[in-house]
Amino acid sequence: MQAYPPIVRPPAEAIGTLALIVGAIALLIFIGVEGALIYAVWRYRASRSSTEQPARFERNTRVEIAWTALPALVLALVFVLMLGAMAEIGGAGVEPGLRVRVVGHQWWWEFGYGAVTTANELHIPVETAVELDLTSTDVIHSFWVPELGGKSDMLPGTTNHLRLFARRAGVYEGQCSEFCGIEHAWMRIRVVAESQADFDRWLAAQGQSAAARGGDGERIFLANICVNCHTIRGTTAAGAAGPDLTHAGARATLGAGVLPNDVARMRAWIADPQQYKPGALMPRVPLSDPELDALAAYLVSLK
Amino acid sequence: MTALPLWVRRPSGERVGWLRTVDHKEIGVLYIGMGVAFFAIGGLEALLLRAQLATPESRLVDPSTYDQAFTVHGVTMILLAVVPLLVGFANYLVPLMIGAPDVAYPRLNALSFWLSLVGGIVLYFSFLAGGAPDTGWFSYAPLAERSFAPGLGVDYYIVGLAVNGAGTIIGAINLTVTILLMRCPGMAISRVPLFVWMTLVTSILILGAYPALTAALVMLFVDRQLGGHFFDPAGGGQVVLWQHLFWFFGHPEVYIMVLPAMGMISEIIPVFSGKPIFGYRFVAGSSVAIAFLSFGVWAHHMFAVGLGDTENAIFAATSMLIAVPTGVKIFNWIATMVGGRIRLTTAMLFAVGFIAMFVIGGLSGVSLAVVPIDLAVTDSYYVVAHLHYVLFGGTMLGIFAGAYYWFPKMTGRLLDEGLGKLHFWATFAGFNLTFLPQHWLGAVGMPRRVFTYAASTGWGPLNLVSTIGAAILAVAMVIFAVNLVRSLRSGEVAGDDPWDGFTLEWATSSPPPAENFPTIPAVTGRRPLWDRKHPDQRDRA
Amino acid sequence: MSASVAVGRGPSIAHDRVLLGVAVFIASESVFFLAIVLAYLAYRDAGLATAKANLDIPRTAIFSIALFSSSATMALAARHGSRSWLVATIALGAVFLAGQGSEYARLLASGIGPGRELFGTTFFTLTGLHGVHVLGGLVALFALLAAHIRRRSALRPVAFEAVGLYWHFVDAVWVVVFSVVYLGTLL
Repeated sequence: MQAYPPIVRPPAEAIGTLALIVGAIALLIFIGVEGALIYAVWRYRASRSSTEQPARFERNTRVEIAWTALPALVLALVFVLMLGAMAEIGGAGVEPGLRVRVVGHQWWWEFGYGAVTTANELHIPVETAVELDLTSTDVIHSFWVPELGGKSDMLPGTTNHLRLFARRAGVYEGQCSEFCGIEHAWMRIRVVAESQADFDRWLAAQGQSAAARGGDGERIFLANICVNCHTIRGTTAAGAAGPDLTHAGARATLGAGVLPNDVARMRAWIADPQQYKPGALMPRVPLSDPELDALAAYLVSLK
Repeated sequence: MTALPLWVRRPSGERVGWLRTVDHKEIGVLYIGMGVAFFAIGGLEALLLRAQLATPESRLVDPSTYDQAFTVHGVTMILLAVVPLLVGFANYLVPLMIGAPDVAYPRLNALSFWLSLVGGIVLYFSFLAGGAPDTGWFSYAPLAERSFAPGLGVDYYIVGLAVNGAGTIIGAINLTVTILLMRCPGMAISRVPLFVWMTLVTSILILGAYPALTAALVMLFVDRQLGGHFFDPAGGGQVVLWQHLFWFFGHPEVYIMVLPAMGMISEIIPVFSGKPIFGYRFVAGSSVAIAFLSFGVWAHHMFAVGLGDTENAIFAATSMLIAVPTGVKIFNWIATMVGGRIRLTTAMLFAVGFIAMFVIGGLSGVSLAVVPIDLAVTDSYYVVAHLHYVLFGGTMLGIFAGAYYWFPKMTGRLLDEGLGKLHFWATFAGFNLTFLPQHWLGAVGMPRRVFTYAASTGWGPLNLVSTIGAAILAVAMVIFAVNLVRSLRSGEVAGDDPWDGFTLEWATSSPPPAENFPTIPAVTGRRPLWDRKHPDQRDRA
Repeated sequence: MSASVAVGRGPSIAHDRVLLGVAVFIASESVFFLAIVLAYLAYRDAGLATAKANLDIPRTAIFSIALFSSSATMALAARHGSRSWLVATIALGAVFLAGQGSEYARLLASGIGPGRELFGTTFFTLTGLHGVHVLGGLVALFALLAAHIRRRSALRPVAFEAVGLYWHFVDAVWVVVFSVVYLGTLL
């Protein structure tokens, strides 16, 4: 996977520049119109000109044509600028350096890099044009990480595309922006942008299967309904309804952003997901305290 | 005496039950009453939403309640508050303004009202029947399909909106025919008051837009109740079909809600400036342009759907174009004030406030027509801010202007000007405090329709400001309510023509008698009452 | 208000309150049917095989001719204020509905319903909504007939014109529906 030098600006920057120009034009119009309005009210108020008779003019075709045509010209300019920016954010002519499959689920994200599947945390290399292929398994979701680009809806039965580009390494946050049901608010996206070397290492690690540990945690996981929904590669767990947990411990958050990920939170989350994310599709699994301890320790150990 | 009997008793002294009335004025008042009631309910829902969002990760209300509240808030404000308020004013005023004794079909008029109300009641009955709709006011498929919304809420939404829409369509037919056929002698279509013009254009918009909603609702009903596949991707259906149909209705709906309010201030600004409207033909003509264009802009609600760059660019162009006739109106209102003698009554304050706020909503609207900017901020709080600047900053301020202006005609008493000015400034402050910060919240990443947000986002402070603004707005509404009740009982007696008005409604008593005018008036210009009061300075038009 | 400024014969849409109202209503209804027809067309390809295999064009054509001729009988009823032509119109409309009913029964018997597949969904929605409009037209025709029988003298000619206008519209919608749904399978 090789990074191509970008020919165009990152989409977020192209949008930002355009927004700045449109914003400046809007501000000028705002000042002009509000200024004229306030001046008219102040200048022609009755208390100021109590003796004056109001004027009686009521039309001026030339003026009307002028203030019809001028805004039209300004808008034509905005339209042309818009076309340029649209081509840029679409990635015109630039081959993406990385392609990631993104599938929206109620209420979590599935990210696919070829054969490698992970959830809720999208890793991308910096200085690389990344193309997302977006779809959904249930309702409409929308992918939005404001600092990296625009947004794209994710529709069941259709694949949409969105370009992302991160200039600097770091964590970028976003979340689902099309109302998708009860836990729409907790469908957060964490994008980790890192150097190509770090990214390659991460991807190689994600590609590994979990080694069979044979411990209590693993046994409890495999013996319960966890396996109906979750996959842990390297074990018999191969459910597809919930996030892939092969590297559950390597992610920073639980429940698509609702809790930080550590053993204590993992335990609390498994003990009662509905307390933290009411309406989430993960049921409460009846487990004893020692079982919960072992299971949480096991899952967090899956780095 | 309580307030209500004053309304039931006709000026003639006769008493008529509300259920039986077919008088356009009484039905207008019924519509306005319905609008006020639902506006209060929708406002309380909004306060619940703002209370929940005041602090991050709040647990004040659970997500299910929150989702029902924002869904019902949207439907209520749009279809059960704003539209009935505007239709109510139109019902009351149009026959008076065109010198007619009533609307074209008085009995059908009553049917329209009752259908609209029953639609609203059906929607609200869902709360008692196991849960209100919780899929948003535009209720996107497949979230609104049975597999994801198994409760009855969405079914109540379908039936409620269809019945309400039937009432609105019948009402629009009535107003259209009334305006086309029942104008008094001399009242050429180029002379009717601009409020009547806007009502005509609005009615035609309703006739073209609402059937698309009805069609979409029927399809959703077939999907949910008969196992159909219109919006079911598993069965070959396309989820975007719902969006096309809904927004083909939804965008004209915005103008349905804005044009009559523009009509109101087009009446109010000239009277309080002491001048005829500047550019009557342009103000009227620009409404027709807006109406035409509004049927060709719906996909700007769908830029992020992935229709394709060409389609998006075309809809961006039409959406930008619609700003031109809108701008024309604003320039004409300001030009009307220039050279005038402006009486800053409460009605005029609200009219000026309408222009000031609508400019902001219009400019943010243009920014949303620009595809890349839309892709950044669509479905965020930026859109929430934008639509409230249009519908509250615009329409509701216009309706308040209309309320202060025509209340004396409807009741015979003036609203209190002192309370009115307090009402205006509290509204102005509360409104901007609520919605201005939401532009920033949206731009930095807060999506709409979230029941909460992570503390780490840093969105807390601006949300708190917004909630404080909402509380001030609520106080402003209480001031208005107090003003209404007090003035109804003991307001200053208005007389027939308290504002030195221009149009025919001021040429009859306050409130007007049954059949409105002792004799059908004849007019020779756009300002018939001005002409009557100033025979030496008649308008030439 | 003075309604009809009679130019030529009968009330005109441009001046008569009732006729104009019906015309405006029809315009609005056209948008409704347009939306449904467009949805049908959007899914036409997905349902074409089922449509070709199951729709009975000749039989439906015969019932369609009943509906089309009812427009002619309605025009005659309106021109002469004639009760018998009115009865003929009602009969032809009823024949059409009966035909629709038998078509539905046949399709349902062979397992095609609104929930079966996309074709069933769009077919039953489009033809069903048209059928409801025909039924509404029949109710209006019956009401007209009843009024004609009870108090012929009090009945304004515009009542015939108004019901007729709506009936012609329902008929015209069927021209479109029949073309799109039935004849469309021949393309």
